[in-house]
Amino acid sequence: MVEIKTKYFGSVPLDSGVLVEFPAGLPAFEHERAFLAIEHPRTAPLVLLQSTTTPDLCFLALPIPEVDPDYQLLISAEDRAVLGLDQTVDPPANTDVAALALIAVRPDGRVSANLMSPVVVNRANSRAVQSVRWDGVYSHEHVLRLPPAPADTQEQPCS
Amino acid sequence: MLVIRRRAGESVLIGDGVEVEVLEISGNQVKIGISAPRDILILRREVQLTAEQNELAAKSMPFSSLAGLLGKIKQSPQGSSSSGDKAK
Repeated sequence: MVEIKTKYFGSVPLDSGVLVEFPAGLPAFEHERAFLAIEHPRTAPLVLLQSTTTPDLCFLALPIPEVDPDYQLLISAEDRAVLGLDQTVDPPANTDVAALALIAVRPDGRVSANLMSPVVVNRANSRAVQSVRWDGVYSHEHVLRLPPAPADTQEQPCS
Repeated sequence: MLVIRRRAGESVLIGDGVEVEVLEISGNQVKIGISAPRDILILRREVQLTAEQNELAAKSMPFSSLAGLLGKIKQSPQGSSSSGDKAK
């Protein structure tokens, strides 16, 4: 069994997740074309997007319905073409599409989700794009309201 | 910020070799054409913001922080709180 090196879990078999292809990469990571989407009970509801070529690159993502149940996708014709989606179907929610928001931990410790640029995955062909919205409706740094960490958690200050 | 009023077909020049032309105006959209030397990077602003967010998202987070983040996300009723946000 082929294994890949991961940022958080050491080496894992390739079938620990779903191999997702980003034909265009992601902004600032244009050369990263293949990620393993790992959903594990230990890390649910997070989805880990582990680069298959760069062990130290692992995005954390949340399914968008977990962040905003009312979210409406908006995908450009170019991105639909990359995903192999029907150009005429709108909204594309009726197809087997998953939308993920990438998570960032900000320098001040707040955690935000990028709702402006969801990672959209077509489950039918495992193709994905980071679909950048142009309508200004959703924030690229939507701050998640999280309860403070329990006092007994030994969290390293991240400076 | 410099503000200039232009009609479709008119353009502005920026520095040496950059021309921005208003090609078409329809509804609330403007189609612009940009002529610039090849070494000038032209990005939609939202793509630049996304690139910056991705850099931040990719920054190293130790496993202990990941565990702490997970603990918080699991406790948090995200769905209900964020739909309240949108109603504002």
